[in-house]
Amino acid sequence: MATRLSSLERSERRLGIALLAPAFALLSGVVLYPIYNLIRMSFSENKLTEPWLAKPWIGFENYAKAMGDERLWEATWHTLLYVIVTVPGAVALGLGLALLANQPFRVKWPVRLGLLLPWALPLVFAGLIFRWFFEYQQGLVNNALIWIGLPPVNWLTQEGPAFFAICVAIIWKTSSFAALVLLAGLQTIPKSLYEAAEVDGASKWQQFWEITLPMLKPAIIVALIFRTITAIQTFDIPKAMTDGGPGNATETLAMYIHKTTIDSLDFGYGSTLAVLMFVASAILTSIYLRHTRRDPSAGRH
Amino acid sequence: MMKFPSAKKMTLIAGAVVAINGFFPALWILFTSLKTESELMRLPITIWPAAPTLGNYTRVFVDQPIFLFMWNSFVVAVLSTVLCVTVSALAAYALVRLRIPAPNVILSVLLAVAMFPLISLMVPLFSVMRDLQLLNTWWALVFPYAVLSMPVCTLVLISFFQDIPRDLENAAMIDGCSRIGALWHVVIPLTAPGVFTAGILAFVNAWDEFLLALTLAPRVASRTLPVGITLYQGEFSFPWPIISAALIIAIVPICIIIAVFQERVVGGLTSGGVKG
Repeated sequence: MATRLSSLERSERRLGIALLAPAFALLSGVVLYPIYNLIRMSFSENKLTEPWLAKPWIGFENYAKAMGDERLWEATWHTLLYVIVTVPGAVALGLGLALLANQPFRVKWPVRLGLLLPWALPLVFAGLIFRWFFEYQQGLVNNALIWIGLPPVNWLTQEGPAFFAICVAIIWKTSSFAALVLLAGLQTIPKSLYEAAEVDGASKWQQFWEITLPMLKPAIIVALIFRTITAIQTFDIPKAMTDGGPGNATETLAMYIHKTTIDSLDFGYGSTLAVLMFVASAILTSIYLRHTRRDPSAGRH
Repeated sequence: MMKFPSAKKMTLIAGAVVAINGFFPALWILFTSLKTESELMRLPITIWPAAPTLGNYTRVFVDQPIFLFMWNSFVVAVLSTVLCVTVSALAAYALVRLRIPAPNVILSVLLAVAMFPLISLMVPLFSVMRDLQLLNTWWALVFPYAVLSMPVCTLVLISFFQDIPRDLENAAMIDGCSRIGALWHVVIPLTAPGVFTAGILAFVNAWDEFLLALTLAPRVASRTLPVGITLYQGEFSFPWPIISAALIIAIVPICIIIAVFQERVVGGLTSGGVKG
């Protein structure tokens, strides 16, 4: 329908575009221009350790190298493992916390702060705190094991236990955001549904499966997607707990990219890895956006 | 027959579990920070500090420029928050109220670009900031952090703008206000809570960020708290009591923020939450 815009509408549109301009200027400077640089660098040999070299264009050489890079595949595998374990883990723990928190407490703040504090802590601090928990001699975990008569474990210096310890820290830290999202979802479920089920003689367990879970599905999906997007970028917690060790056993993609570029200053190859990483997460982000598509001008409800 | 605890007791237990899960790690660090080095060496470990001491806290200030780290964190967080909220508020308002073509597409593009994975962005940002000679300055972090919080701030502000009746603005404009005038005198005061919520979320995001801070501002004098504390290596080992004291010092400001503004933070997170 081709309607002519009134002059008021036209001036509004102009103002609207002007108001959007700062956002897009910021995005261009901080994201788009760097992405352009990133893609260009990924096709070149660019080592800051050899600044006397020109930065020759080498086509897909870096990409070919990536395909045969065993450490990259290991890091990808580790990252996938973190995703597989910590995404459902954090959402499940978050659901548990949300169910516990969804009670008519007379004093609300201790529970609310209990949910908020892990969210508000920097990831890297959560990593440090759990590193202290899993410390061999003075760590709380090993002392608890000794106390109940079990032998202590070298948590952070063996592959399996280190992975386990890191997952525990990630799940603890990230479950609180899931819990907040799920708690908000729980509070939108009408009480009358439970009352009706009660009248029909449904047990609490049946109510959970037949009412709570289906009604909570959209919130659970949002929580799962968010967690997945952040999980594939896992960096801070393993960095603080093991720095990727022992060997490269707990190294994630993000850590490998960081080591390649910042520690070894190989920007060409590091850029290639970053491009591959971006492609993987773009796919996940687009799934997220499809789920939350909304029309901002349409008003709510 | 087994006696079940009363519903009231169950509620109390449920609440206690949630609170303990959230607080315990921080409390444990607090206890650790009050212990002397010799008490920490003792096995089995103690739970309560036997002779609480603030010695570790003075060590934190003596050993490392923690005030400087805190100042860097604070300045970067404040500047990036102001930038982020301003830019997001203008964009959100344009998307909600002004007749922009295809606002949902523009919003999706904005979110998709702003959610570009930090780890991939880190590599080119390092070279861009190096070319601009901004490495190890506040600005290397301020601009990226503003983008980092743009999705959550934009979504929060959109939901607040949507709740303001259009008629209020129209009335102001009929009374002779310009569009901008109406925005300033009518819309902004009404959305102050939304702007504030967005600001808190942006501040916490910036205060917590680690990867970019580690990459773009690694020099001691420009480190933020997360980087300063994580790279806080003693000469021979990781000095846990001092690290613990430093962690407590760094955590206290965010604790105060979330304690004072808890309802707002929860509301903001669940209406536009974008953080793991």
